[in-house]
Amino acid sequence: MSQLVQAEITGHAEPVPGVSRIEFYAPGLARAAGPGQFVHVRCGEGSDPLLRRPISIHAVDRQAGTVKIMFQVVGKGTAWLARQKKGLLDVMGPLGRGFTTGQTRRNCVVVGGGIGAAPLYFLLQELAREGCARQVKVLLGARNAGRLLIKEETERLGFAVRVATDDGSAGHGGPVTELLSEELQANPGFIYACGPVPMLRAVCGMLESAGVPGEVSVEERMACGVGACLACACRVREAAGGENYRRTCVDGPVFAAEEVVW
Amino acid sequence: MNTSVNLGGIKMKNPVTTASGTFGFGLEYQPYVDLQRLGAIIVKGTTPKPRAGNPPPRIVETPSGMLNAIGLQNPGVERVAGEIMPRLAELGVPVIVNIAGDTVEDYALVARRLDGVPGVAGLEINISCPNVKKGGIQFGSDPRTAVEVTRAVKSVTGLPVIVKLSPNVTDLVGMAEAVAEAGADALSMINTLLGVVIDVDRRRPVLGNITGGLSGPAVRPVAVRAVWQVYRAVSLPILGMGGIMTARDALEFILAGATAVAVGTANFVNPRATVEIVEGIETYMRENGFSDISELVGLAHRA
Repeated sequence: MSQLVQAEITGHAEPVPGVSRIEFYAPGLARAAGPGQFVHVRCGEGSDPLLRRPISIHAVDRQAGTVKIMFQVVGKGTAWLARQKKGLLDVMGPLGRGFTTGQTRRNCVVVGGGIGAAPLYFLLQELAREGCARQVKVLLGARNAGRLLIKEETERLGFAVRVATDDGSAGHGGPVTELLSEELQANPGFIYACGPVPMLRAVCGMLESAGVPGEVSVEERMACGVGACLACACRVREAAGGENYRRTCVDGPVFAAEEVVW
Repeated sequence: MNTSVNLGGIKMKNPVTTASGTFGFGLEYQPYVDLQRLGAIIVKGTTPKPRAGNPPPRIVETPSGMLNAIGLQNPGVERVAGEIMPRLAELGVPVIVNIAGDTVEDYALVARRLDGVPGVAGLEINISCPNVKKGGIQFGSDPRTAVEVTRAVKSVTGLPVIVKLSPNVTDLVGMAEAVAEAGADALSMINTLLGVVIDVDRRRPVLGNITGGLSGPAVRPVAVRAVWQVYRAVSLPILGMGGIMTARDALEFILAGATAVAVGTANFVNPRATVEIVEGIETYMRENGFSDISELVGLAHRA
């Protein structure tokens, strides 16, 4: 069950310039959260910025009762949030439908591009807990070596990580989807992906051609976060045929790869 | 202390309700709010058939506000009456259904279907949605069609009918007088103000619909002015709304002449805003020696 809490900030870091990672203490939220879900965070006390910001859950430590979020500073809301080093955060969550894991998903590839790596780390924590780190391939893309996220900590969980950078300063020189294309030759059972729209669009196209199922986490402008305002519409194909809008906040942010209309 | 009000025949235990479109069908907020504390719940705009809504992006934040262009996405009156109302009716809170359509007949059809549905305590006619191409706004900007819609709805329902007015008109008072004359039981104001935001980097409008409706604290003085002017001209009870975030904001509307208030955008920021406003109004009354909320309605006109 989602809750509204005033959570104490217990940690703050800037893993790469312009990206912040905040840890806060919210044991109930940590217990309830699943990978791919998000929290809705108030960014300021006044009315400007007005709306909460939906931010994916990056990691949880259920024993310590802490939750981490990691986000890129893109506007005044996230800029305010990045300045919070201590004190209380006004947080709603966990919200949304996250990634599905389990037996049939073990032989999988996890693909992250840029800040899209943030929610994937929580997924990898769960996959490691389920004992399948050795079966999972992790592909991480970034503009350059200096902007790579979650590589070291993912390796510490026991995963093999392959890296792609746009400028070739680390790993493969080119988009991370080129690595996915190679991995698809080995017939993986499932793909998880999060990243910028062009990357996700390409991933979904590749999965369709290869006939491999997968899940993608999408982003949309959001107001309420609880399914009431219908702002965060994501266009999807309906199983029964035709297309419709679904709410990214409660029907997503994770959708089946074949559902999303790009 | 008495906080109960009568909004054109809708009996509310306190003057606080939710603005249509910001609270879904109420149940979405159940994890955060004790819905039974609300004076009434106004649910999402309902049309004869399901509507898919506008292409995204549907919202954009603005200084102390936001623009929205949802496009009346809703499951259609059949599902609202048959599936959603039975669950909402169990709460025992008056539910006001906002109704919309493309033609006068559409409004009458929705109103007729909702007449007698358990839990529905009233209708709010949306003649002011700025985000659908046909319908909505043109009814709200032309007094003759507004009158026609009001009469058509009144003739098919025994429920109290609130007419929601648009601020995007030159003569708001004239519009209020016209729909009052046509038989409206109450007036709600204001719907959102029409706006556009341009993305300077991409050199195009942000919203998929190009224009959207501005809400939030930025519009509050405009809304309070609307209530103030209409209160002086028309004797119908007024449901005031527009950027109410706190009990003090709500009190501005009541003092300007609103019998009840609706909380909209604030729900997105603070999902407990409605209940905190109910409590804040009670505290204000206690601290300032008012025993009945009716003493406060329009009091600023007599100052």
